Amino acid sequence: MEKINEAFELLLKTDRELFQIIFVTLRMSFFSTLISCLLGMPLGILLAGWKFKGKRMLKKIIHTLMGLPPVVAGLIVYMLFTKYGVFGSLNLLFTVEIMIIAQVILITPIVAGQTLSVSSVGAKNLLETAKGMRLSNFKIAKLFIIQNKASLFSVVLTAFGRSIAEVGAVSLVGGNIQWKTRVMTTAIMLETNKGNFSFALALGIILLLISLVVNIIASAIIKQEEEE
Amino acid sequence: MIKITNLKKVYQGRTVLDIGRLTVENGETVILLGHNGSGKSTLLKILADIIEATWGNIIKDENVLYLPQQSLPFNKTVKKNILYSLSGTKKEKEEAYEKVCALLKLKELENKNARTLSGGECQRLAIARLLCKKCDLLLLDEPTSAADTESRRLIVEAVKAYQKETGCILIVTTHIKEDAELFGGRKIVLTNGKLPLLREEEENNA
Repeated sequence: MEKINEAFELLLKTDRELFQIIFVTLRMSFFSTLISCLLGMPLGILLAGWKFKGKRMLKKIIHTLMGLPPVVAGLIVYMLFTKYGVFGSLNLLFTVEIMIIAQVILITPIVAGQTLSVSSVGAKNLLETAKGMRLSNFKIAKLFIIQNKASLFSVVLTAFGRSIAEVGAVSLVGGNIQWKTRVMTTAIMLETNKGNFSFALALGIILLLISLVVNIIASAIIKQEEEE
Repeated sequence: MIKITNLKKVYQGRTVLDIGRLTVENGETVILLGHNGSGKSTLLKILADIIEATWGNIIKDENVLYLPQQSLPFNKTVKKNILYSLSGTKKEKEEAYEKVCALLKLKELENKNARTLSGGECQRLAIARLLCKKCDLLLLDEPTSAADTESRRLIVEAVKAYQKETGCILIVTTHIKEDAELFGGRKIVLTNGKLPLLREEEENNA
């Protein structure tokens, strides 16, 4: 109970480090969600609506990568970007950018897979209707988004949730460096290991509050969409 | 003009369509009649390039518009549904929209989300999304199946007016005899994917 009180006191105080951690977390989660959705959604729609060579294989790869362990993703990115790695010259290791890259590798298959599931429902009808109207491929792809707006919004939420809660990959490639790459999940782990439960708890509460706020806003948008 | 020769569609080892010869002249109306599973929709889908024939030869125009049996209303207003199918300048789109709206009496529904429409209204909208464009071959699969008497009358009148204006070939499938009479034209009964022998012989001799 005492620790919980301390956590709330910490929250009420303006702690510069705490705000910096929140800022890095939000920045990383926002960009990794955005990039993953920009890559994964078109891929999912393509798989749901169009026939092409290698489609079955691509589906299998995506479904396999949906279960990719974060530490494995982190390790691969680490090896690629380490000093002697293929992309070593970019000097991105232990930066927020590399944390975003690692998360994009982790989250894009999830976004693609879920978009595929969502878009596959009624895809046959949609395609027949759209092709019968002689719509361009671009307009047909847009229709997949228009028809499944609410469900695709849930996919975005899942991606954001996965990103903000991820710890394995980001601690490996980001290094959990104070004032630089420390995010809420890695900070919680560190503070817990140090026995600083109040700070860890404060971060945990904020993490939950952010998720709650994002979910409330998303639910309102989905409800509005459904009512329209 | 459409010329079909030795067209076959085999699905999971079963021949669902087997047409030896069929010719449709420009501007002609053909009504495809037959029970469920007789191959009417399959023929339309092949003509619309939605599915491929197993073998056979088809000569036809490329400018085809097709209404599937379950045409999907898009998650937009009625007006946006129609405008979405159009291309060109804003003025051209608006003109085409107003014209088709008047034909199918959709003006009072223009701000309603298409997903909230009744079955008959939905079919009028689906037809409107096609009739606002030009084509050489118009394929309608059960265009009046969910419509009430008034909507059916509106749909038939609109389609006939469109055909008169564009001179397109019109092929309609239906199992409602009254609708077949309303559309007029040549009636073809498909049975188990085949044309009646007599009809086919006539076609062969043509």
